Amino acid sequence: MRTNSASLSSPTATTAQSVTVPGEVPGAEIRGLKVVFQTPAGPMPAVNDVDLDLPLGTITGLVGESGSGKSTLALAMMNAVPKPGHIAAGSIRLPSVTDMTRLQGKALRLARGTALGYVFQASQNSLNPLKRIGAQLLDLGRAHGMEDKGALLRHARELCERMGLDPVRTLSAYQHELSGGMRQRVGIVFALILNPSVLVLDEPTTALDMISQRTVLDIIRYVQRERHLATLIITHDIAIVADLADYLVVMYGGRVVEKGPTRHVLQRAAHPYTEGLIAAIPRISGDIDRAQPLPGRPPDLLSIPRQGCVFRERCAFAIDQCSVQTPGLMPVRVTRRHDALEEDSALLDGQVAACHVRAPAPSAKVST
Amino acid sequence: MAVTVIEPGLGATGTRRPRPPGHWQAARRALLREPRRVVGAAIVVIFVVLAVVGPFLYPRHLAANANSIYAPPSLVHPLGTDFEGTDVLSLMVTGARYVLVSGAVAGAIAVVLGALVGLLAGYLAGAVDWSLSRITDFALTIPQYPLLVVLAAVVRFTSPVLIGVLLGVTSWPGLARAVRSQAFSLRERPYIEASRSLGLSTRHVIVREMLPNIAPYVAMNLLVSMIGAIYAETGLFFLGILPTSNVNNWGAMLNQAVFSAGAIGSPQAISYLLSPLVAILLLTLGIVFVLDAVDEFFNPRLRG
Amino acid sequence: MSPDSPPSVKVTTGSGKARWARLGRRLGARVLTGVVMVLAVATLTFFLVHSMPGNPIQTEYQTLIARGVSPSLAAQQVAGMYGFVSSKPLIDQYGQYMWHLLQFNLGKSITASGEPVVHLVLSAAPWTIIPVLSGLIVSFLLGVSLGAVAAVRRTNRLGKVLSVSGSLFHGVPQFVWAVMLAYLFTTLLPIFPFGSPYNILDTPGWNGPFILSLVYSAILPVLAYALSSYGGWLLTMRSSVVTVLGDDFVLAAELRGLRPLTQLRYVARNAFLPLFTTLLLSVGFMFGGSIFIEEVFDYPGLGYQLVNAVNARDYPLMSGDFLFITVAVIAANILADFLYTFIDPRVRKAA
Repeated sequence: MRTNSASLSSPTATTAQSVTVPGEVPGAEIRGLKVVFQTPAGPMPAVNDVDLDLPLGTITGLVGESGSGKSTLALAMMNAVPKPGHIAAGSIRLPSVTDMTRLQGKALRLARGTALGYVFQASQNSLNPLKRIGAQLLDLGRAHGMEDKGALLRHARELCERMGLDPVRTLSAYQHELSGGMRQRVGIVFALILNPSVLVLDEPTTALDMISQRTVLDIIRYVQRERHLATLIITHDIAIVADLADYLVVMYGGRVVEKGPTRHVLQRAAHPYTEGLIAAIPRISGDIDRAQPLPGRPPDLLSIPRQGCVFRERCAFAIDQCSVQTPGLMPVRVTRRHDALEEDSALLDGQVAACHVRAPAPSAKVST
Repeated sequence: MAVTVIEPGLGATGTRRPRPPGHWQAARRALLREPRRVVGAAIVVIFVVLAVVGPFLYPRHLAANANSIYAPPSLVHPLGTDFEGTDVLSLMVTGARYVLVSGAVAGAIAVVLGALVGLLAGYLAGAVDWSLSRITDFALTIPQYPLLVVLAAVVRFTSPVLIGVLLGVTSWPGLARAVRSQAFSLRERPYIEASRSLGLSTRHVIVREMLPNIAPYVAMNLLVSMIGAIYAETGLFFLGILPTSNVNNWGAMLNQAVFSAGAIGSPQAISYLLSPLVAILLLTLGIVFVLDAVDEFFNPRLRG
Repeated sequence: MSPDSPPSVKVTTGSGKARWARLGRRLGARVLTGVVMVLAVATLTFFLVHSMPGNPIQTEYQTLIARGVSPSLAAQQVAGMYGFVSSKPLIDQYGQYMWHLLQFNLGKSITASGEPVVHLVLSAAPWTIIPVLSGLIVSFLLGVSLGAVAAVRRTNRLGKVLSVSGSLFHGVPQFVWAVMLAYLFTTLLPIFPFGSPYNILDTPGWNGPFILSLVYSAILPVLAYALSSYGGWLLTMRSSVVTVLGDDFVLAAELRGLRPLTQLRYVARNAFLPLFTTLLLSVGFMFGGSIFIEEVFDYPGLGYQLVNAVNARDYPLMSGDFLFITVAVIAANILADFLYTFIDPRVRKAA
């Protein structure tokens, strides 16, 4: 396991530096990930050229509309892209796995659950309805070579308590005897029982009421601190992760369009799409008209532009270059204006965006 | 035949995706997607044509010929002759109308009754639903064939229409149950709730708002009910429960072949015995292939 | 809310005693419904026999008078056959019929020289029940396992061939199966006996040759039952497995890295459950089919007896057979429904 992330710079000069701050231990490193779906109209990339680091001890929020490729990315981390898709390029390094994309068969099965814990989008229904929760946990342990039933059950009971669940009753319950919020917490128990160091939660609060949402988010924060995990929360709702995530990653049309420390991204979103997402959050105080929906519709697999910026068709700032050249992730600069002639720009710590207008390449050669 | 009801396309979540208005086009596409479905539709159409024009091709009383009993297939008798020397092909062709007419009557009655009971139970809910469901359960529990046998002993069934009525009133419960569950889910749809809160009459909501939604499903079950009735009818004739003399019907042919003419023990009678069997099997084949398309139309998940 | 103190929530699971009480109530309700249904069927049968063309009761009475039997004796004999006296008001006749029914008195057969109907029905029952159950087991095992294969391999050739075979087998009516099997294996290729449920040269009893001939003669009828229901099982299992394979928990099991065998067990058990309800319907279907299959193979079961009773206008025997078949189907329903509550925890809760 690498301890110094300074050496983790991206392979090409046009892609950006990793967000990892020196001193943080990488939990998961995704490099150049590309997931392609075979369609009647030819191969279509659902995830394209994604670099992502999930340092241990941090929470990363992955935000995007449906069709942005965020769930495909999450499934790719499990090397479980559904057919007719497949991982076409890239690597996924986890603390105990050199490259998840290269695993197959039994090695892949064993890595799932132990290297990476996964909380499902439909965690409400992620359990066998005909089997007690405890028995299913034992199935899971047995599948990963844990012969010590007693230890496994002790661990399960302890986790249940951490989740605020009555351990004895929960483990002897069937899925239908639990409420939606309780099922979601049981889903987290299943994801953590094998002690993975990376935790991926796909839309963990969708379909939950406000109170349960709050509880689940609190639990995520809590186990995160206690276990020093590298956590990735996938959501379409930027508000969910605004005060929970250390880093934000924004995806659009299969590409990462902006990422950086949450505070920076929220305060000074560089990419027009991120701005739009933030503007779309309705606030309790304030004018409802200030919550601006994004104009236009997100692209589906077939309508993603193959060349140029994926967002340009909904972008108010698009220039000619946007339809020709795909923007790479570039450091975001804050510009302070001293006087009319002199500009002083400073790099915002670790924040990068893929936009020709807002985050131009240092030596941008605008093609004409 | 209670088992043969197409399950409505309800997914695991119990909600059916609303169909775009062009569902007839979707049905056509499903039919044309595989050649065997077209073959199936062709077979069904041929039988229908036979039923319509068949009896006009032959005299009312088919000629018997004592000199050629159990004749093997030849140019004159493409399917051979029966125990009294009558041409088997002419029996087959003229028998098709009887079989299909009672099948059609039975299917229509079963579908109307089933849809009506199902819609009323599902839409009105409460006490109406409770009593209609109990009646449906009761009717579904009584095994249909023994009931038909007993009923056939009570009522004199002399015409294909009358037999169709008998078969129709004994085979609606399966459909009623399926329609009821669909009506239940339709009931919760916003536009139905809206019509109800607007104070539109029950009849209006059921006929104008709900019926169009289940219409394609009911139309497809018409086919299922028809084939079920055809089996039951030929089966009853085969058993001799329905009077077989002077009746042109595949089941009656089989009855005479198996029980009175001894064809089942005679290898020479193969074409006579097999003709009604093959006719029934062909019709089955045709309908199964058409239903294959239906299945895809209602359960896109099965497409795989 | 502080993240360090997540709220505790109670899980609602029934205690053992409460669950048994629920099960008992459910069973009680089911049995009660069953009894009501049997009474309703009995009423139906009573009125059916009453509306028989040519008033069979009166005819029987007249026949006896014509034979020189005294009117009172004739009335008594007719009453013994049908279970009620036709000269009394309808409601009294009905009451008498039902009262006899409660004492398992179904009257006497007309054709079988005054033999009690109950005896005749009970002696015919095994000839139906055993082949029906054997056929059911064979077709169930075959259909369910091939249906699972058809679902898993639904995109390739094997799966398609299997499901088309299921549809075809399901579509062919029982009497067609029976006639085809009989013609094929007793006439064209005479390898099986025909026309008797056992070899008449063997002495009935617990001896080897007789039992062997019983089994040998039963092969074709059992095959006919099995073939006519195999397709239904295959199709039901296939669609059930396809539905379950699309459920979230199956994907979850795979992504959690459960063993393939465990995943298969999860799918199989969940897909298998809905087939229990189909089992209810199929018992009725199979019993109904006995009238065709037994008729073709001259097998002396309930269906054979029923058809012969109708043809011979032996109405007491006819209603006895019909009643028995219906009761058997209702009983099978109750049994299957009760077993279902044991294998599906969700029903156990909802009961």
